Amino acid sequence: MGDDKQLDLLQGTLDLLILKAVSLGPLHGYGVLLRIQQISGQTLVIQQGSLYPALYRLEHQGAIASDWGESDNNRKAKFYRLTTAGRMRLEEETEKWNRMVGTMGAILLAEPEGA
Amino acid sequence: MSLWSRVRSSLRAVFRGERTYREVAQEMEFHVQACTEDLMRQGLPPGEALRRARAELGSVPLQQQGLRQAAGLRLFDEMGGDLRFGLRSIWKNPVFSGVTVLSLALGIGATTAMFSLIYAVLLHPFPYADADRIMNPAIFNEDNPQERRWFAMTKPQFELMRQAKSLESLLGFRNMNMEISGAGLPEDVAAVYLTENADAFFGVPALLGRGIQPSDALPPHEPVVVLNYKFWQRHYNGDAQVIGHTLQLDHVNYTIVGVMPRRFAFNDTLGTGDVYLPRSLLQGNFYTPWLKLKAGVSRPEADAEIGQLVHQFAKEFPARFPKKFHMQLEPIVVPYERNTGPMLALLFASVLLLLLIGCANCSILMLARGAARQHELAVRSAIGASRWRIVRQLLIESAVISFGGAILGVAASYWLARLPLLLSPDSFPRESVVTINLPILGFSVALALLAGMAVGLAPALRLSRPDVSHAMQASLRSAGGRRRGRAYQYVIAGQIALTLLLMAGAGMTIGTFLYLMHAPLGYEPRHAMNVHIVMHWSDAKAWDAIKLRESRAAFIDQMRQRMASVPGVVSVTVGANALPPYSGWEQAWEMDGKVDDEAKQARLHLTGSEYFSTMQIPLVSGRVWSEAENARGDGVAVINETMARRYWPAGNAVGQRIRMPDLKLTAPLEAASANSSGWREIVGVAGDVRNDGLDRPVLPAIYTPYTTLMTPEVRYQIRTQGDPLALVRPVREAVQSVNADQQIANDVVDLQAAIERDPQWSRQRLFSVLFGVFSGMALALALVGLFSVVSYSVAQRTNEFGVRLALGAGRGHILWVAARTAALSACAGIVAGLAANLAMRRLLAHWMNSNHAGLSGLAVVTLLLGACTLAACLLPALRAAAIRPVEALRYE
Repeated sequence: MGDDKQLDLLQGTLDLLILKAVSLGPLHGYGVLLRIQQISGQTLVIQQGSLYPALYRLEHQGAIASDWGESDNNRKAKFYRLTTAGRMRLEEETEKWNRMVGTMGAILLAEPEGA
Repeated sequence: MSLWSRVRSSLRAVFRGERTYREVAQEMEFHVQACTEDLMRQGLPPGEALRRARAELGSVPLQQQGLRQAAGLRLFDEMGGDLRFGLRSIWKNPVFSGVTVLSLALGIGATTAMFSLIYAVLLHPFPYADADRIMNPAIFNEDNPQERRWFAMTKPQFELMRQAKSLESLLGFRNMNMEISGAGLPEDVAAVYLTENADAFFGVPALLGRGIQPSDALPPHEPVVVLNYKFWQRHYNGDAQVIGHTLQLDHVNYTIVGVMPRRFAFNDTLGTGDVYLPRSLLQGNFYTPWLKLKAGVSRPEADAEIGQLVHQFAKEFPARFPKKFHMQLEPIVVPYERNTGPMLALLFASVLLLLLIGCANCSILMLARGAARQHELAVRSAIGASRWRIVRQLLIESAVISFGGAILGVAASYWLARLPLLLSPDSFPRESVVTINLPILGFSVALALLAGMAVGLAPALRLSRPDVSHAMQASLRSAGGRRRGRAYQYVIAGQIALTLLLMAGAGMTIGTFLYLMHAPLGYEPRHAMNVHIVMHWSDAKAWDAIKLRESRAAFIDQMRQRMASVPGVVSVTVGANALPPYSGWEQAWEMDGKVDDEAKQARLHLTGSEYFSTMQIPLVSGRVWSEAENARGDGVAVINETMARRYWPAGNAVGQRIRMPDLKLTAPLEAASANSSGWREIVGVAGDVRNDGLDRPVLPAIYTPYTTLMTPEVRYQIRTQGDPLALVRPVREAVQSVNADQQIANDVVDLQAAIERDPQWSRQRLFSVLFGVFSGMALALALVGLFSVVSYSVAQRTNEFGVRLALGAGRGHILWVAARTAALSACAGIVAGLAANLAMRRLLAHWMNSNHAGLSGLAVVTLLLGACTLAACLLPALRAAAIRPVEALRYE
């Protein structure tokens, strides 16, 4: 898996990615994984082992809710969807992220003065 | 993120644990299948695809763990583990666990028992609604502040008081003796007339039928009666069909309309009633009040308003009130608080001491066992347990022990708490019932938690810092351990000091009780009884026959003669107000030929001339009055030794003259001799008899013929050959043969039993029994603690002793080394205990109301404790001294 094109996940961003993924429609755990990889164009690696604890944590916090349903190939699966509280959190975190990216970008673009 | 949703999700995880686990497993299974299919699509063989999918996801239990951690349940799971481990290790060490659980059970049980007793008799003794707002209006005579009494009021006064702004409601009652007529021997019943608001005032629903209700006040005044529970049990064998039946009282038929529940035993002020009747049936019109204050009204406010009214009543009927007095409202529990409050407080303090001693014992045992567990704790620490984690585990173990103790203790307290009510029934409100209820359970659970913390904290803090490298390498072979001993020493010393304190308290109370038991009474209480007769003064026809002095004296003497002729009766005397150990009326008297410089008081006893021979009171000098003098009543008196010695120290009392200026008719229904307040010659001096209680000095006493002043009631003292109470029925028949309607009161009492039922005596006995039991427990606990400490240290230091012996130490030296630390701490404890005791002695003596326990009691308990302590230290040390060096050196 040590492909150069793939990026390791930044700390604390997994929650945001999950929230974003389920905001596009209810997904089961494996679906969340696939969707994140798909949107990122296979550049993000998510440790499968850490996906579920993150899902349980978000559910415990009330940001997502789960229901049992049928998967595409008619198997029983647990689907996660965004709650109202989760949508608010997604907006907040997105905004925070954007500010962060802007700030980081500005810092990294800075030229040494008087050079 | 609402807090609620988190709590809900945590709770769900806790309570539906299995199901959530299963769901996680299902979810993982789905994930693995989906992943495997994807991998197979990418061309991997099925077996390899499955392996990869599983490896990437990680194990299912790990994911389940993740869920529980997300739900904040990790702490919960770990504690559960600690709890299971604690239970297992307790199970594995039955002796250790048994001793520790029992140590705490004794303390928690005794404390819970005392708390439930206090709850039952002081905090919640009455069944009445808003009992804390019910007041007794007490009248305090300002000339004699010890005197506290009640007053009665007329109907208009009652109506006036009912209007008072500070009162929610007002109850009036009147106690009367009545007889059950119309069936064989007349039987005495205590009747209580109640104002018709009684049901609402008490707020106690009747067990059967109804209580006294406002409709009973309306004409035509149906004669109805409500029964007391005990009377119902005694007279009707608890027959549930009794409602609607007829009960004949004083020749009038009453319809039974209700039975009150067991706890209702109104009233404590003037005596519990057997039957309750509505006021409208009462002939006279005086009642004693009970007041219920409005919620929020303070006592001083109410005192001011009601006090003003009472002073107004006193102006209307000056004869019924002292000259100078003030009125004070007293919650109905106050008399009991006054009598038993200090005793209960002391007992509570002593059980807390017992609990502390039990805790100390547990701590010692845990420290001692902790020494053996250091290896285990070091391993835990070495593989990464934090200090907090180890402390928590040890605390949970001690909590398990203390809860075990609490369960046993609460069970035992159920019986222990009843003991006081059995041993001293008259000291507590008749209506109190000891039960185990929520406040008491809460109390003991809190106690168990506290005890668990107290017991576990010191050992936990101490043991949670294991010296890992040392403990791991050294296996168990250690010659040191001196440093470890320090913690015990303080606990042992403290424990011994507390034990001595408790034992000294017990010594003091037992000493006082022995004094009471052996105090000379001055009369012979065995094979004698007291019979009380109340004449029918409210029945005009019966009263006419005995209203006059001569006819009443004749009636009294006739009954005496008939009783005396009953087979088995040795002699009978009239002692109208002379039932020891509290006897006589306080009376002022004067000495002939002496200017009255000081007011002299004596206890006046109105008796027959046979009183001294029947009670077996020796006559010191002179003679007893004759039959003829007895009939006349005037001119003669006998005094007791105390009075003779105090006022005629030369020994010439006989022949002197005294008089009692106030000894004359003061109230209706009395009959007095012609010159009752005139001069009397002292014809004899009798031996001293206790007349002011068992533990107080005998007061000066004057005996005069009972015909001097007769009230409508009379007491007879009857000496018999065998058990006096076996003769009650023939005595009743003898009385009835004089007057077919005359019953004897239900308070027939064996004079020996009267002493044992005396509140002072029974309270002191109760006190001694409880204190004795508690201090015995404390002693046992302390000795077990000491014994196990020395035993443990001997076991640990076996190697060391072997070395010492091998190098030539004597057995005596080993004995000293083994017992030294514990023995020295115990000595320090004894010294500290003695110091505390001497410092608190005066305070304790005051609280215990005991002035008779000398220092000898303290000396005895100190010696006892010293001897026991020595034995507890030496027995295990002797084992150390008996070690054979070769074995000891090999000992692991």
